[in-house]
Amino acid sequence: MPEARSGLSGLVPRELAAELLELGRAQGAEFAEVYAERAVVSTFTLEERRIRSSEYSRGQGVGVRAIQGEQTGYAYADGFDAGDLREAARVAARIARDRAPGGPPRAFAVVEAPAPFTLAAPVTLTLDPAHKVELLRRADEAARGHDGRIHEVSSGFADSSKSYLVANSDGLWAEDRHFLARLTVTAFATEGEVRQHGYATGGGSVEASYFESQRTPEQIALEAAGVAITLLRAEEPEAGTYPVVVAPGWGGVLVHECFGHGMEGDVIRKRSSIRASQMGRLVAAKGVTIVDSALVPFSRGSFRVDDEGTPAQRTVLVEDGVLVGYLWDLLNARLTGNRPTGNGRRSSYRDYPLCRMTNTFIEAGPHAPADLIASVRRGLYCKNLGGGSVSPADGNFSFQVTEAWRIEDGRLAAPVRNATLTGNGNDAMLKIDGVGNDLLIEGSTGSCGKDGQWKPVGVGQPTVRFTGITVGGTGT
Amino acid sequence: MSGTAHEGRPLDAAELLRLGTEAVERARRAGADHAEAYLESLRSFTVRVNSGAIESLKQSVTRGLGLRVLVGGAQGFVSSTDLAPGSLDELARHVVALARFSTPDQANVFPTPADAGDEPLPDLELVDPALLAWPAERRIEMALALERVALGCDPRIHRTDGASVSTRDGHAALVNSSGLARTSSGTTVSAHVVPLADDGEGKQQTGWYGMVKCRLDELEAPEAIAREAARRAVARIGARQVPTARVPVILSPDIAAAWIGEMLEAFSGEAQLKRTSWLTDRLGETIAARAVTLVDDGRLPRAVGSEPFDGEGLPTRRNVLIERGRFATILYDHYHALRCGARSTGSAVRGYSSTPGIGSHNLYIEAGGESPEAILARVDRGFYMDDQGSYGFNPTTGDYSFQAQGFWIERGAKTFPVEGVTVASNSLEMLRNVAAVGSDLRFLGSVASPTLLISEMTVSGG
Repeated sequence: MPEARSGLSGLVPRELAAELLELGRAQGAEFAEVYAERAVVSTFTLEERRIRSSEYSRGQGVGVRAIQGEQTGYAYADGFDAGDLREAARVAARIARDRAPGGPPRAFAVVEAPAPFTLAAPVTLTLDPAHKVELLRRADEAARGHDGRIHEVSSGFADSSKSYLVANSDGLWAEDRHFLARLTVTAFATEGEVRQHGYATGGGSVEASYFESQRTPEQIALEAAGVAITLLRAEEPEAGTYPVVVAPGWGGVLVHECFGHGMEGDVIRKRSSIRASQMGRLVAAKGVTIVDSALVPFSRGSFRVDDEGTPAQRTVLVEDGVLVGYLWDLLNARLTGNRPTGNGRRSSYRDYPLCRMTNTFIEAGPHAPADLIASVRRGLYCKNLGGGSVSPADGNFSFQVTEAWRIEDGRLAAPVRNATLTGNGNDAMLKIDGVGNDLLIEGSTGSCGKDGQWKPVGVGQPTVRFTGITVGGTGT
Repeated sequence: MSGTAHEGRPLDAAELLRLGTEAVERARRAGADHAEAYLESLRSFTVRVNSGAIESLKQSVTRGLGLRVLVGGAQGFVSSTDLAPGSLDELARHVVALARFSTPDQANVFPTPADAGDEPLPDLELVDPALLAWPAERRIEMALALERVALGCDPRIHRTDGASVSTRDGHAALVNSSGLARTSSGTTVSAHVVPLADDGEGKQQTGWYGMVKCRLDELEAPEAIAREAARRAVARIGARQVPTARVPVILSPDIAAAWIGEMLEAFSGEAQLKRTSWLTDRLGETIAARAVTLVDDGRLPRAVGSEPFDGEGLPTRRNVLIERGRFATILYDHYHALRCGARSTGSAVRGYSSTPGIGSHNLYIEAGGESPEAILARVDRGFYMDDQGSYGFNPTTGDYSFQAQGFWIERGAKTFPVEGVTVASNSLEMLRNVAAVGSDLRFLGSVASPTLLISEMTVSGG
């Protein structure tokens, strides 16, 4: 039964949801929506060889949204007390004023959408605390054992479960439940006066067995320790603008930041994104195809229905360099006459949904990754990126590169530290001049921030070569 | 009262204290040797406007509990928004069971009233009655005025990325089984606007300006905020890249503040103990130019970062981290102080949903004697940095490498706007290379700095 998906219909039964939706439109709002959520997060942290803290948090409540034209009213309550929920609905309703009440919602119809994947034994329902602590101990041992210069290791294991229910005045009724898990390791290395750290993660919306069969604590730990040791002998990057090759997987954060954000329905509707006037135009190099899909198996960015109840889908944004589609949530789709694409997402019941990406990636191309590096005489190979950001209105972006290598005559010559990539998103995708055949979608670690709301996402790409990106650093 | 009323009041300090005492008792009955409850209640209101109309209006009254226990010296922690008695019992049982998976640690001790001392807590004037009485209509009017004025400032500003006004008021309470019990209250108001200036061919330049304050009468007038934001957007029109160069760089107050915020972690007892930062073992050494004094003060009256007591109930104070260039103080919470044989500096910060960690209250570089204009006049050829990307600091090495926007300086004057560059150095070098500290210290939030001149950094461009 679909209702069993969230277990929340006992706390917010249909009669109550219908009453809240009617209250939400009592001042004449065109649309009302109720979103109920129950989330638990369990966290263990290991530092200085000890389990420093064992933590558990629970958040639950209901948000009510009312929409009148372009205006949103939002209020929420922590918990499920019917009196509190009615008060939230009344407050949200006031976004519309002095209009005829909207009346009761349409009869509810349950959204039937296939799940992109199902988990037989998610971490939250399967692993007990002792098991999670053991995963951390194994990671700690492996990182410390990798090299005598690793002097400190911090690791954390977090898993969560989130159940949610959405009902709206158009008669939509949807429920779902997500499970996430993540193991993170930071290894600190020192040699003489030089200190460095390396960071690695594993996880996603994965089975408990993932940490035994797909990515073990030892693998994650050795990756983190390896980066820290490599960086001990890293040089400063040469400052300037030159060819850059970005490794597959997490490197997709580039396309997420410097292209994806400008494709979100809110900035398209308001025409504050340069992409609003570029439908059908060449916005990326020929051969570049960019997709947003919430259907990627086992990724943090995937789901069956979004936080507005719209079924997940695969949306092609750019096909062979040409802009062919935007991302839409309910509000912005309504206001522009478009169909929602399942990109209405919110960080919790305390926030109204925004138009957000899910898993965003560049599709595989024709080239062998080794050839993309071999053809560069002098450049930078970015093996791993850290965080990145973009200012959507002016397009300026930057990325911290956590592990890079100098390319000399087509070979990786020496490790590089403290590099930053910068440029303008308006033309960055046009600077791609080679796409590898090794697509990898990194769904274990990404979180995207927008207007103060953080949301799990996946990013991906094959090996990609750019003709020239400005690289910051102090080397000359 | 267990519920939530949206336009009602948040749970008051006495109610939080009662709930906290109850949670601590339940945890003790469930088997905790020691327990500590931290509770917060908050009423918040946010209006966002765009194109002359309300875009969204969001209101809430919330509360939450963080319950920390020690069982045989091992720590467990739970947090929840559900404060009903049945839920407290369940949380208490859960947290005691959870603690047993942590490693026992002698330094896991909650502060006692003796640790806290008997000095009475000062009134830091963190609650503004005028703000509590400020009608919602006026908040909406202010947001609309921010945008309207910004749009009227220059013909090249046709739209904004919105304006927003938000207010918050609430209380916090801390109770532990060693006998500490404290409450505090506060209000804040914040306002900002983001004008967009046309820069030809569909390109836009962004200006952002705003601030958060405890009291309504300390907020700049909306007209002044809007004009400054508009000035920033228009000044960027025509920005271009410059060639790579090693030159003097002026950090605007915003940029300098962002930098000291990044550096904070290196001053923590945790980073010192784990030896994971670029300041490891440097206490007492000269790490900066003599002009640099870096302070973290939890007791500034009417300041957004002030609190009478920290996240573990210990009194806050004024800590001088760098005194005229010398690394003078390491910041400690209770745990790391015990580990290091030191005393807490009142630097535990937290919300209800997290365990305490070492952080700052009002972190700032003390003002120097030179006006920002005089500092600019000193630079023959260099870069004035007044905007940056979000990622570019390495807390282990102190390496600094940020995407930057600003102005190119020739003969003591800003000549044209610059974008598409990064600015890089290392924090230790930057601290030593501080060649001037401006007189223009002003708090827009809880981290602040005057204008700083760094004698040499690498600007990467074309």
